[in-house]
Amino acid sequence: MTAYIAYARKVFLGRSAYRFDHLMSILSVVLQFFIFCEIYRALYGGAEQIDGITMSMVTTNFVLSLGLGTIFSPDDYFLPNKIWDGSISTELLRPISFKGRMIAENVGDSAFNLIFKFIPVLIVALLTTGVEPPADIPCLLLFILSAVLGYGVLWSISFAIQMTSFWLINIWSLVTIKNVFVNVLSGSMIPLWFMPEWMQGVLDFTPFASIYFTPVQIYLGQLSYGEIAAKCAIQLVWIVLIYLIGEILWRKGQRKLIVQGG
Amino acid sequence: MRDTLHLMAVYTKTTAKAWFQYRVDAVLRSLAVFLREATGIIVIWFTLLKFDTLNGWDIYEMLFLFSLLFLTYGIMIIFFTGLRDFGKTVRDGSFDRFILRPRGLLFQIIFVNSDWFAAIGHGGLGLVLFLLSAGKVGIRWDLFNALYYVLTVAGGVLIQGAVFLLLAALNIYLLQTESLKEMLYWNMRKFAGYPISIFNRFIRIIMIYVMPFAFVNYFPAQFLLRKSDMAEYPEIYMYLTPVIGILMYLAAYCFWRFSIRFYKSSGN
Amino acid sequence: MSFIEVKNISKTFKVSKRGSGIPGMLANLVAPKYEKREAVKDISFSIGQGETVGFIGPNGAGKSTTIKMLSGILYPDSGEITCSGVIPYKQRKSYVGRIGVVFGQRSQLQWDLPVKDSFELLKAIYRIPDDVYKKNLGRFTEMLDMSGFIDQPVRQLSLGQRMRSDIAAALLHSPEVVFFDEPTIGVDVIGKEAIRGFIRELNAEDNVTMIFTTHDMQDIEKTCKRVIIIDKGSKVYDGALTDIREHYDQTRTLEVEFTTNTETEPINGVETEDIDARHKRFIFGKDIHINDLMSQLLQNYSVRDINISEPDIESIIRKIYSREGAA
Repeated sequence: MTAYIAYARKVFLGRSAYRFDHLMSILSVVLQFFIFCEIYRALYGGAEQIDGITMSMVTTNFVLSLGLGTIFSPDDYFLPNKIWDGSISTELLRPISFKGRMIAENVGDSAFNLIFKFIPVLIVALLTTGVEPPADIPCLLLFILSAVLGYGVLWSISFAIQMTSFWLINIWSLVTIKNVFVNVLSGSMIPLWFMPEWMQGVLDFTPFASIYFTPVQIYLGQLSYGEIAAKCAIQLVWIVLIYLIGEILWRKGQRKLIVQGG
Repeated sequence: MRDTLHLMAVYTKTTAKAWFQYRVDAVLRSLAVFLREATGIIVIWFTLLKFDTLNGWDIYEMLFLFSLLFLTYGIMIIFFTGLRDFGKTVRDGSFDRFILRPRGLLFQIIFVNSDWFAAIGHGGLGLVLFLLSAGKVGIRWDLFNALYYVLTVAGGVLIQGAVFLLLAALNIYLLQTESLKEMLYWNMRKFAGYPISIFNRFIRIIMIYVMPFAFVNYFPAQFLLRKSDMAEYPEIYMYLTPVIGILMYLAAYCFWRFSIRFYKSSGN
Repeated sequence: MSFIEVKNISKTFKVSKRGSGIPGMLANLVAPKYEKREAVKDISFSIGQGETVGFIGPNGAGKSTTIKMLSGILYPDSGEITCSGVIPYKQRKSYVGRIGVVFGQRSQLQWDLPVKDSFELLKAIYRIPDDVYKKNLGRFTEMLDMSGFIDQPVRQLSLGQRMRSDIAAALLHSPEVVFFDEPTIGVDVIGKEAIRGFIRELNAEDNVTMIFTTHDMQDIEKTCKRVIIIDKGSKVYDGALTDIREHYDQTRTLEVEFTTNTETEPINGVETEDIDARHKRFIFGKDIHINDLMSQLLQNYSVRDINISEPDIESIIRKIYSREGAA
């Protein structure tokens, strides 16, 4: 366990090296937030609410999903980079789990982002625009639980995609296309309330809504406890399902690596 | 002169040849860039299915606005890839190699590499959006409007090229300017797809006077579309794009010439 | 008549300094610290046309910085450099057309394309006339034995093949001076020999001035007549390779094998080391005459074999570094 903590700590500390980059990436998120709010202010055109959704709910959706997006940062190139430079063969010989290390480094990175990115973004948002408070304390706690599960969904998607690098080596295109889907369909760029109805039907069959939108709905108190339980169960199902796909690829990939000697 | 043209041709031939070494990857990459850049457009398309217009702009007018942004970037990146990646060029020592060759530094930076994936991804998207929208937004494509369009695209290319050149010059002092580029260029570009009239005064001032994306697409689109929100700005702004392009590029070029003397090789 | 003239050049870099652990990280987030590092301190030398000079020194000694100033990549903070009448960092374009630079760790070839394509590109960049290009290409292809791989993409070449191609690339425009920065790094023994042979031949035939930096003393011994040792930014030695011994280490070693197990009496001015019961090593300076020592040994003991050796250059240089380090 100490080895994994050491890896997480190393990543956490390493992130501080690029101070300016860090400030800029916070700013980038804040700007993105402002743009979406301005667009929706124009779309609302002073209307109190549209389809029962108020402007401050829209704002809250953006703060939370963009904010969670700053924390949710699985390194899509963790495995591909090691396959590309050939270091994977030696990495696999180390006496610690490769996947465990992958998770540890992601956790270190996310912890850094939580403290030095999410909190500043949240403070700016609170100071400049109206963000709804959580519906009540249980909702806040369930929001946190659901957000962790949402991270799990995003992580397992990244995990499964990375495994294809055993065959494709360079997966930049695939990762980029994956990010298009995540950005459009997870609610971080368009609140899913405003998706056309047929599209909402389609979304129910994809894992994307459970990344950000489920936690947001719970936070706003839009779901009953029964619905919360169901949505969290769906999140869990997605995590397990996608992780299993990744796991199968991982095993086949390792076998391929052994057969071909890297 | 003939000698320079010859070298340009050899550089281009070399880049193209390298590109064709990985054809499948190239197609996939171009497609990925195309889709990545289309993200904002897919979002606005979904949004306008629900809301119809954004401050009076319908979906086709929005697509036309976007098309200028992508088309200019697609053309610009054919020539300015080397400036976009200048930070990396300095850090990995390739710039030292440029210094060791008896040719203009800027000339080498510009012609030694072109990101065809970006050119096709962005340019292709711009073209698709143009074809989708140009016939549906009520523009009369007579000779004058067509000429205006060509000049304004050229101006938009120069404006963005000038920013890349300026940032590359700053790289000589700072070594890391990726974040500054992120801030000044890429972040502001996120605003540029939308009519600037929806934003607050502060953003509008930046988009017009600091990082003038408004002249890349908003004002030129206004000349051709004449939407009512143009009333907020002086009419002359619709004609300034080529002038601003040339002036900005000249200013950036002078700054580059001044700065290059301070270049410090990055050790190892 | 000196061809390259370097007078009192110095160069200082600003490097950021980072603390360790979480406090160091926080300190760096708030207020990054910089410190000045003097890479080159007041170095002077001159080099004649056709000379071959090796720059040696430990990592970070200032070799690369010196080479970069000589080749015009860096401005010196103070001091002056002239090379065949030109100031490198001021008259860049006219200067760099007359020099060639090989970086062992950074190829200038197009990674995805055949070697030949990179050569064609260089022909256009350096405006090499057709006849010169043809002549040089033919000659280098033969001398460096490149015909087997000149049409292969660079990414498929072995390190030795790539390095040979890189050397040819740097010489296509017939430069008057060539700088080699670690030209044999990572290359196998046979590859190294081929490169060294080519360098010697080119120097002999074309009278090209050549300047090396390398960690491999064999490179220097086989190609250079003169060495400049740089340590901590200062020049600590400048002279013929063979004079280094004279200058720094005049000890010699006598290895003796006795017929039986032998204990020797201490000899004045001679250090004795036991290898095993029958072998001993006698280390002595210039003040001891070798004849005296040998006759003394032969008279007193039963000797089977004697072997005299001088310390090899590499260990002398190692000693020079460590001495500087200790001071």
